[in-house]
Formats: sequence, structure tokens, C-alpha cells
Amino acid sequence: MIVYISGILIAGGLFFFLVGSIGMIRLPDFYSRLQAAGIIDTMGLLLSMSGLAILALNEFTLGNFLSALKIIFIVVFVFLTGPTATHAIVDAGIRAGLKPWQKK
Amino acid sequence: MKTLGQITVLFCGGLLLFFTSDFPDFGDANSPASLHLSPYFIENTLKDTAVPNVVTAILADYRGYDTMFETTVILTAGLACFLLLRIPKREVKSRYYLHEPTGVTLRFEGDKYPQKSDVFKRIDSNWVPYDLIINFTCRLLIHFIQIFALYVVAHGHYSPGGGFQGGVVLGASVILFAISGNLRAAIKRFGEKTAALFSAAGVFIYAGTGALCMMIGEHFLNYNFLSPLLGTDRIMARSHGIFIVEIGVAVTVMAVMIWIYYNLSSAGKQDEGL
Repeated sequence: MIVYISGILIAGGLFFFLVGSIGMIRLPDFYSRLQAAGIIDTMGLLLSMSGLAILALNEFTLGNFLSALKIIFIVVFVFLTGPTATHAIVDAGIRAGLKPWQKK
Repeated sequence: MKTLGQITVLFCGGLLLFFTSDFPDFGDANSPASLHLSPYFIENTLKDTAVPNVVTAILADYRGYDTMFETTVILTAGLACFLLLRIPKREVKSRYYLHEPTGVTLRFEGDKYPQKSDVFKRIDSNWVPYDLIINFTCRLLIHFIQIFALYVVAHGHYSPGGGFQGGVVLGASVILFAISGNLRAAIKRFGEKTAALFSAAGVFIYAGTGALCMMIGEHFLNYNFLSPLLGTDRIMARSHGIFIVEIGVAVTVMAVMIWIYYNLSSAGKQDEGL
């Protein structure tokens, strides 16, 4: 049962990874591509990592619990750093004078 | 001079290429490494050194000399960066000061600049305003990064990790501080002299551990004989000896990372920079 739940979660995460990677190639300018990259950081990582954490808890032992905890720590730290990095890059783009793309 | 350098480089490269042909093929089952070395390490590491991680034991114990000179190479890299880039005399043509009440930036030339003023704040020519989000996140994370670095150094006996990796993470935390704030604030906390001293101190810890073994009357870097000093049996003494040596490596790597960053990011001036 747990295997199926984690499988669905990981598949959902991979879907967001796919969407994000297509967006990074197909979207028209710097800022919108960064937005697509942000999707990978947040939704893709959250879903796939929580799937892996649940999979690690398939047999409940101390070691498995610790590895699940470490995976959750990864998610927490990427949630803090990913948006900050995106913010810093967008800030640098604005400061350097890059105009957002507009439909003609 | 340039031709001489090129000839030396080509000669050494040619020698290396020439003697590569004597090496056993990649994955050769009859090479000495796969015949008797690897099985010995896999079977005897735990018995010899009480370290479960074979890689750490080989790196810091069986091949201690190799790692000692690797650490020396890192120190040399830091020194080379320092000698090439550092501008010995600080020539300040102009300084930029932000007048905080009005938000006006002024440029001062020569020796006339406000010293220790409450309203004037010294800024770089490529200064960016204080960003709350970036500063807060970086300040929040630096502690965790440093604790994780210590964990990586101390846990090298049981899991992937060790002195080099932990030292790099530790250095990266200070570099993150310099990037998120400014270079001068970082230099105020971890100065250039500290970096130079620490990078040499790490090599000293490593070589000093070896010399201590020699002074007791045994071979260089043979940690077995540290057991009376550490108060453990001879096998655990090897494990502890590896740990001491890893600390030395971590100190050197951390200091050299920071030192190279200071020199590279400010083009050797260490005054204004990223």
C-alpha cells in the first residue's frame, strides 16, 4: 500500500520536473524561464522527496526513520534556499536593466 | 623565461604520457591493485584501524603520506593565488560613501573622507542595497551549514565525508556570508591573516601528528603508538589518529577556500569586492 502511495507521489513529482524542464526551454524570456525553474524546486522536489520519505518508512526502524528525516530536511532547506536564489537572480536581472518580455 | 616554462611543461607532460604506457590496463584483473591490495584493505581495515569506512582508512592511514602532500598542495594553491593576485600596497584613489539620512552617494578623492561617522556609510563602487530576504535566509542557513560541515568532518569514519569535504562546506559558509553581505564584513570576521595562519596550521596539525609518532620512537604517521597519549588501545588509537589528521585537512581546506575567494573576488585588493 505504502509503495503505491509513494509511487503516485514520485510520479507526480516527475510530472512537475517535466513541466519545469519544458518550460525552461520553451518560455520566451529570462524571468518566465526562472519561474519554470522555480516549479522544479518547489512542487517537483516536494512531491518526489515526500514519496521517497514514505518509501523509506516502509519498514519502521530507527535507521529508516533517520533517513526519512534526512530527506525531509533536504526538502525544508531547498524550500528556504530555492525561492531565495530565484529572488536574487531576478533582482540581479532587474538591476542589470533587463526588461520583461511583452507580447507585441 | 616564457619559453623556458613552456619547455618544462612540455617535458614533464611528455614524461607523464610516456610512462603511462607502463600502467596496467583499466580494469585489469591481474594488476597488483586487484590481486592483493584491494582484498587486503577490504578484509583487514576494520581489524587494523577500527574504522568501518575503508576509503577513509586508506586515505588517512594506509596512504597517509599521500594525503599529507595533498593538503600541502592545497596550501600551495592558496599561496600561489595570494602571491599572484594580492596587490601589496593599497592605493585608494576614491571612496564611495552613502549619506544615510538623504540617501545620496558621495565620492571622496584623496585622503579626505569621513572617518567613523554615524551618517556616512562606506560602500563599494559595485554596491547593491541591503536585501532583507537574501540576508535573512543566508544568516539563517549559515549555522546549519557549519554544523553540517562539522558533522561531515566527524562522521568521515562511518559514512562518506572527511576532512576535504567538511572543510569545503565550512569554507562555503563563510563565502556565502561574504556574498550575501559584503566582502569587508566577511574580512572583519575572518581576516586574511587568520586565513593564512589557519591554512598553515592545518598542515602543521597533520605533519605534527606524524612527527609526534616519530618522537615517541616509531615510524612517521604510525598512529598505533599514540595510544598512551590518547589513553586507548592501539587499534582505537589509529582511529583517533585518523580523526586528528582529518581535522588538520579540514582547517587547511576551509582557510584556503576563503583566502582564494577573497583574492579572486576583489582582484587582490581585498578592499572592494563582491
